[in-house]
Amino acid sequence: MNNGRRHTKKAFPWRRSLWIASLLAPALVVMVLLVLWPLLSAFRLAFYEFNGLQPTGFIGFENFRKVLFEQPYSGWTYNALKHNIIAFVALMVFENGTAFLLAYALLKALPGHRIHQVIVFLPVVLSAVIVGFLWKLFLHPLFGLVNQTLALVGIGAIPWLGNEHTALGSVLFANVWHWLGFPTLVLLAGMQRVSKEVIEAARLDGAGDYVLMTKIIWPLIAPSVTIVTILTFIGSFNWFEIPYVMAGLTGSPGGATDVLGLYFYRTAFGSTTTGIQDFGQGSALAVMMFIIVAGVTAIALRYLRRREIEL
Amino acid sequence: MSATAHRGQSGELLRNGAIQLMLGLNAIIMIYPLFVMVMSSFKTNAEIFSSPFALPAHFSLANAERVWSETNFVRYLANSVGITVAAVALILLFSTMAAYAIARYQFRLSALVLMFFLSGMTVPLKLAIIPLFIQLDSLGLVDSYAGLVLVYVAMGIPSAVFIMTGFLRTLPRELEESARMDGASEFRIMRSIMLPLARPAFVIVAIQNAVPIWNDFFFPLVLITSDNLKTLPQGLTVFVGEFTTDWGVLFTGLTLAALPITLLYTVLSKQFISGITQGAIK
Amino acid sequence: MSRRRIGLALAAASFAWGLAASAAHATDISFWTWRQEDKAAYNELFADFTKENPDIHVKFESFPDENYPTIVSTALAAGKGGDVIHTHAYGWLEQFVKAGYFEPQDLTTVPSLANQPADALVAGTYRADKKVYSLPFASQTLGLFINKDVFAQAGLTPPTTWDEFITVSKALKEKGFYPLANGMGTSWFNEMFVAIFTNPFLGQDFVGDLTSGKTTFKDPRYVAALGKLLELRDYMPPGFEGIDYETAGQLFITGKAAMLAGGSFDIATYRTQNPAINMDFIAPPTAKAGDTPQVTKFFDGGYAVNAKSANKEAALKLVNWMGTKEFGDKFSALLGNISPIKGVVIKDELLAHVAKLNETAMPHINVVYFRFEKPTGSELLQGDITKMMSGSITPDQLAADLTDGLAKWYKPFQGK
Repeated sequence: MNNGRRHTKKAFPWRRSLWIASLLAPALVVMVLLVLWPLLSAFRLAFYEFNGLQPTGFIGFENFRKVLFEQPYSGWTYNALKHNIIAFVALMVFENGTAFLLAYALLKALPGHRIHQVIVFLPVVLSAVIVGFLWKLFLHPLFGLVNQTLALVGIGAIPWLGNEHTALGSVLFANVWHWLGFPTLVLLAGMQRVSKEVIEAARLDGAGDYVLMTKIIWPLIAPSVTIVTILTFIGSFNWFEIPYVMAGLTGSPGGATDVLGLYFYRTAFGSTTTGIQDFGQGSALAVMMFIIVAGVTAIALRYLRRREIEL
Repeated sequence: MSATAHRGQSGELLRNGAIQLMLGLNAIIMIYPLFVMVMSSFKTNAEIFSSPFALPAHFSLANAERVWSETNFVRYLANSVGITVAAVALILLFSTMAAYAIARYQFRLSALVLMFFLSGMTVPLKLAIIPLFIQLDSLGLVDSYAGLVLVYVAMGIPSAVFIMTGFLRTLPRELEESARMDGASEFRIMRSIMLPLARPAFVIVAIQNAVPIWNDFFFPLVLITSDNLKTLPQGLTVFVGEFTTDWGVLFTGLTLAALPITLLYTVLSKQFISGITQGAIK
Repeated sequence: MSRRRIGLALAAASFAWGLAASAAHATDISFWTWRQEDKAAYNELFADFTKENPDIHVKFESFPDENYPTIVSTALAAGKGGDVIHTHAYGWLEQFVKAGYFEPQDLTTVPSLANQPADALVAGTYRADKKVYSLPFASQTLGLFINKDVFAQAGLTPPTTWDEFITVSKALKEKGFYPLANGMGTSWFNEMFVAIFTNPFLGQDFVGDLTSGKTTFKDPRYVAALGKLLELRDYMPPGFEGIDYETAGQLFITGKAAMLAGGSFDIATYRTQNPAINMDFIAPPTAKAGDTPQVTKFFDGGYAVNAKSANKEAALKLVNWMGTKEFGDKFSALLGNISPIKGVVIKDELLAHVAKLNETAMPHINVVYFRFEKPTGSELLQGDITKMMSGSITPDQLAADLTDGLAKWYKPFQGK
């Protein structure tokens, strides 16, 4: 933290306090009324037993014990958690890695880079429903374009979304396609804030693309990297929509695409085809998701902020 | 001397060629599925299943006509536009104010307030749909525009505050201080000096929020029941549901739901991109 | 002439006044359902109801199936929601009843309950107080669709026993057809797929033993029946693990596949999509020649009255009307569903044939008996069946997972 540059107290401290408070008030009021209060009410349910849709009694940490230590629930929990972690790592490497390369390529401002910026962001404006449907169609074992292309080189019908080993990867791929534009533009914005003189100076010193990218650009875009990393982390732990559209509420096949978002939603609200709802266990799962995400985010922010260099 | 320069140039050319090739390939991967979606909306069900990636046999507008005549399309569209614009405007206003306070002033609870906002981002509000519904009901906001807009604002504020705070922190302190020396009020400093510099962040926040709000159908499904208040994705989801097995109608519905925001984005893309990347001036 | 005109004007005026009066007294009630595709049929039925009860107008409001439980439980928790609510049966209904969200129905409030057969009423009855909370609306039958044209082209006759099924399938495959259209890409249907092909091997005795606590799913009969499913893999389309139920339907109606394990609820859909289709609906293959053919039957759900409805009387009136033969006849004709109401005449030949098959049907075991508590038999089976079909677990493991999971709440399985 660079406190020295902050605005220090002046005369009329109450006027200053009032000014700050009035800046914060609208956002805080909305958050307290429509996020904090409903979430706390929902979290409370994690400590209650349910028989049907109404709580029947306080049971302490029993719901947490079940989802963490009692089969089959615990197996489902860890299976889903594992997929969230895989999703985070895969998205960091493939989505954000590709985005970094794309941003660097676009930074060169070669002919056509403007139109490319428009194109790469186009899928971001689409809904997950559309993206899911489209990629289901492309990955269809019989009619899908992916398999039709592979058939040309003699590879048989692969059930991308139906096979336990390829399903999660396929869903992740669709997600990368959907969101790639966002980190690309955030990183590009960060790179363009690196001053031209710095880059020129490095070039004159004989730095090649690789050195320029790793030694100059990468450290200098730290604030953008922080934003992208944190949003990716939160996104992969709250991941819901694309797997929901492509693999259904049960994370088919056999839980191969199950993630905590689906699992908690299914537990709390059930589905018409698997049966019943349990707000107690569902809320316990959500509380755990909250603790994981909020905890890691707080720690990561502290660490990432430290490596940010004030420009 | 001139030979090495020449070699360097041709190497550069080669590298740029490779980059162009990669970008071109990426552009195809990004665009082609959209092309398929639009083409599918002209097709019959049988065509989609027998030749999903061929051009349609006829450019039949039958599917589009059905969506047009059997739903309250214009009304849904107007509702979606109104709700999205109102929600994004309020998100920008409220979260910029809050982020400005956190980023530009030093006060005791600053870190705590930021953490409070961030924690709102870490858990899906879907979880709390029942208490949220009851809360809105007690405020008389169920089945109203205002209720839906406020829910979206509440959902958008955390990440908006996060992005805005990060951005506002990086603005140089000198401008602010010199204005203060000249006796400008805090409000004037914020509005006339600092915020104009934050345009890239506004653009990112606006688009990052507008897209999910526009596309959302979960909250309208739960919160809105009157037909004349329904949003476009909600109205079309229900309409398409009446033809569960008709993929042609489905794709038409999806395409039409995506069309307004896609067009808007394409038209405004120049401003959008330059808005984001204008940080280059420095 | 002018007098006539005055008369007409007077008549028109009084008619208009009458309308206005009835509109002033009219009660508007809403009907909530997940059956979006049935909108037109229900609106026609409700128009009939309003003709008989001019003071009640019914509004059809439908929601996507996947979000229906969330929407309904949220609205009911806040004391809102439709006046009449379409419910699923068995365990799904019970959780709402336990929370006090639905109004009990009896012969005084809903006299047409008398028209319902006993096994249908079970689907809408809360086990603890034995009261009916949801008036059953349809029975669904699971069996085997046959594309008669494909069989004619191949010069084959539809199979009745398992051995015939295998022989016929081999021949169909050689002739370039997919014998069985199904895949494993739709979780909810996978459970039905299992029921369709295992039930003829299990028989009513097994159901009796299971429900009386004599045996569990670890029973060799169940494991052997699951084993039979593995033989089907050779006759399903390539990449069947990723083929969903919609695709299977398309393969069937376009004549690329000869047979489809499916539900009577789709007869109408397939006819709309291919009006020229020449199809039959038969019982799945029996274990051996001479066995009784056995389709699988279950009750889908029913019509419940919201306990917090402001128009309970009108809502009960509507539900009562939906239990009459008049409703049932038209319902079956419009939607191609089999109404359980006694005396309903099914005009459609194929549907009447299905109703006949129902007489010797097996229950959909998981849905009827094992969806009352968590974990449900459905979530356990749906989670494991794709793994079994892809070969990563054995039928024994699936049977053990199912039994051990259910033992959490199903007392007869505990310690077995």
